[in-house]
Amino acid sequence: MGNPALSFVAIELLTGLATAAVLFLVSCGLSLIFGVTRIVNFAHGSFYMLGAYIAYSLVSRAGGPVGFWGGLLLASAAVGLIGVAMEVFVLRRLYGGPELFPLLATFGVVLVVEDAVLAIWGPQDLLGPRAPGLKGAIEVFGHRFPSYELFLIALGVGVAGGLWLLVHRTRWGTLVRAATQDWEMVGALGVRQATLFTGVFFVGAFLAGLGGAVQLPLEAADHQMDLSIIIEAFVVVVVGGMGSIAGAFLASVIIGELQTFGILVFPKLTLVLIFVVMAVVLVIRPQGLLGRPQPEAGMNRAVEVGTGAGFQVPAVLLYTLCALVLAVPLVSGNYGRVVLTEVATLSLFAASLYFMMGPGGLVSFGHAAYFGLGAYGVALLVAKLGWGMAAALAAAGVLAGVGALVFGWFCVRLSGVYFAMLTLAFAQMVWAAAVQWDALTGGDNGVLGVWPAPWAGNKLVFCYLALGLCGGCVALLRRVLRAPFGYTLRAGRDSALRCDAIGIDVRRHQWLAFSLAGLFAGISGGLYALSKGGVFPTVMSVSRSIDAIVMVLLGGLETMAGSPVGAAVFTGLREQIGSLTDYWRAVVGAIIIALVIAFPRGIVGFIGARAARLAQGGR
Amino acid sequence: MLSVRGLNTFYGQAHILSDLELEVARGEVVVLLGRNGAGKSTTLKSVIGLVRPVCGEIRFHGRSIRGLPPYAVSRLGIGYVPEERRIFTELTVMENLEVGRRPARPGAPGWTVDRIFALFPNLGEMRWRGAAMMSGGEQQMLAVARTLMGNPALLLLDEPSEGLAPLIVSRMAQMVRELKSEGLTVVLAEQNLRFAALVGDRAYVIEKGRIRHSGTMTQLAADEPSWAAYLAV
Repeated sequence: MGNPALSFVAIELLTGLATAAVLFLVSCGLSLIFGVTRIVNFAHGSFYMLGAYIAYSLVSRAGGPVGFWGGLLLASAAVGLIGVAMEVFVLRRLYGGPELFPLLATFGVVLVVEDAVLAIWGPQDLLGPRAPGLKGAIEVFGHRFPSYELFLIALGVGVAGGLWLLVHRTRWGTLVRAATQDWEMVGALGVRQATLFTGVFFVGAFLAGLGGAVQLPLEAADHQMDLSIIIEAFVVVVVGGMGSIAGAFLASVIIGELQTFGILVFPKLTLVLIFVVMAVVLVIRPQGLLGRPQPEAGMNRAVEVGTGAGFQVPAVLLYTLCALVLAVPLVSGNYGRVVLTEVATLSLFAASLYFMMGPGGLVSFGHAAYFGLGAYGVALLVAKLGWGMAAALAAAGVLAGVGALVFGWFCVRLSGVYFAMLTLAFAQMVWAAAVQWDALTGGDNGVLGVWPAPWAGNKLVFCYLALGLCGGCVALLRRVLRAPFGYTLRAGRDSALRCDAIGIDVRRHQWLAFSLAGLFAGISGGLYALSKGGVFPTVMSVSRSIDAIVMVLLGGLETMAGSPVGAAVFTGLREQIGSLTDYWRAVVGAIIIALVIAFPRGIVGFIGARAARLAQGGR
Repeated sequence: MLSVRGLNTFYGQAHILSDLELEVARGEVVVLLGRNGAGKSTTLKSVIGLVRPVCGEIRFHGRSIRGLPPYAVSRLGIGYVPEERRIFTELTVMENLEVGRRPARPGAPGWTVDRIFALFPNLGEMRWRGAAMMSGGEQQMLAVARTLMGNPALLLLDEPSEGLAPLIVSRMAQMVRELKSEGLTVVLAEQNLRFAALVGDRAYVIEKGRIRHSGTMTQLAADEPSWAAYLAV
């Protein structure tokens, strides 16, 4: 190949394939697990991270080729067993329940693993030794190309082939494919699903661990690798088609190449780019490139826990509670006021998510986008343009509402997991813009000097302002749910088909609910920015979106009153635990897991069910 | 062989089965007759464990099986063929049979792929075909064949004649008789009276989740006026 430009492209293609290979190792397991168990496994990134860290410990202790390659395999097997443990001790208790709960439990595992890694390996980045026998480079098209990366490409292809044989040429694979289509029927034919699921988790976790382990000689193991890989792997799985291994292979290549060439062509847009691709694929071909259309969207069914019906919080209790909350700032110090302000803003944030998630059945993984739009809206208007507080807050709500109107138009065309993934993609785009568009947003430095108007500058006054505004907004949302609009929304969630048949435009109602939820999330975000005096891209990170889901589920999906309770409990826990230990994430994670297993109906739902039982004569 | 007493099953608040009683002896073909929504399918699903009855007793060979998960019930020797067939359309005919394959069981007819294809010759002709490419009748045969591969002693058949052409229905009836002659016990949910009469030894008439009438097929034929109203649409 004489042409230098062409051979450069060829080398970059190879580099992209090496990236794709590792991505495939992680995402094929994710896809396999989703296909069979219908669980969106957030902990898959943690498996990848554990693979890297465990491999580091093994490889740096035992030297030589046997130590190195044996260490990588041993690390992968160890991670496989950790995956088995997660399935047996946590997830197995949740099958047959709402489908969101296993997902939340896996997020709890993510938090626990993050802190476990911190405790065991410390905060520093760890770079592993280079692979014995593959330290050099090979001449390819007149360029030197690292032989280890060639090995990665071969490994990726080999694993893809091996996995294909396993799934298409063994009895186990036949059962897995049958279970992917109809696991209940497989059970009725005498196959114990739990054993099958455990095996699937072992294979998935093993491959993710292998992905992390083989990455070690290239990039240092660090504490962000779990979330960064899981987002990419989600993109791959969604683009390729949930449950399709061939799809995961194809999509890994596309995303790997896109990242490699994206850095060369649009260095500022790399983060946005892959999410644009995902959004485009989801809108044009919702089931992914090689996925099969799903007749029933998993997650809609997942959240129906008798939502909205039955249990109502007694009015007396509600007013007493409100009065108590209103009395707190008077007696508490400034610290208490600050915490209460945060609880108020997060209550509105959680309630706005509840609005679409409970009665609407729309589980968003990217609600933080609208919180962030509101926060950045207020911050930029106040700090850069000198707007007044009230006008900026109103404008923030409008900005977030318009954002939700635009993104929502795309999102409501999908349902279930695909809906959730598209909301996540949009949220990541907004987040990436905040990080990379530093001329406007200040990048990672954020926007500072965002203070409330002088009359509200006092912590006590601002606390009441937040309580009043958020309380009013929550009451308004609650009122909307009791209007015909709210009933229609529920009807659309419970049976979109029947609603269509009687002439209700379900999609339009969902779109409106999405936009309203975005608008109120924007207001809460604006208040949050004012209370903190500034904003950073973290206001709309993935974990904030997950926090919101956790708050809603903590409160329970049966009543809107649950969401503020969930927000209060979540914030309180984090504050309390944060003051006691550095490992608050692990504790919060463990609490999430425990709550999901012990209180599947949320705190308020649980109390409601107990109250109903007592009323029935204490059965 | 199968004995059901005082069975009550709910879907949410809806009471589907009320104090249902059934007795099935070895080697019999017992028909559950009833309209759509009468509770026939729910009865079969309660036995296999796909729905959980609130109370009552289900005994198989004297052993209580209520509350067991479907896989455990299946492993005791009860085969279930659902009304919607639930064929694995992504798999071939052979792979569908493979999913159903279980070890042989003493006291129950043993099935191999060859014996299955002797019973259903046209399945043998399309063994590598994807199940999605089969007609309704072929899918019904595959659904039965797949369950037989588990070597059940008792077969629960949910409306095998539903939606099939008359010619195929009579082949289904012949198949049920052949299975009976193999020594298999069959419980059949059916609303097609003629099909029931072709294959059944005894029948229970179900309406609104209760047994309204029961007897041998000849007894039932004799006093048809007393129960026919339960089947009329």
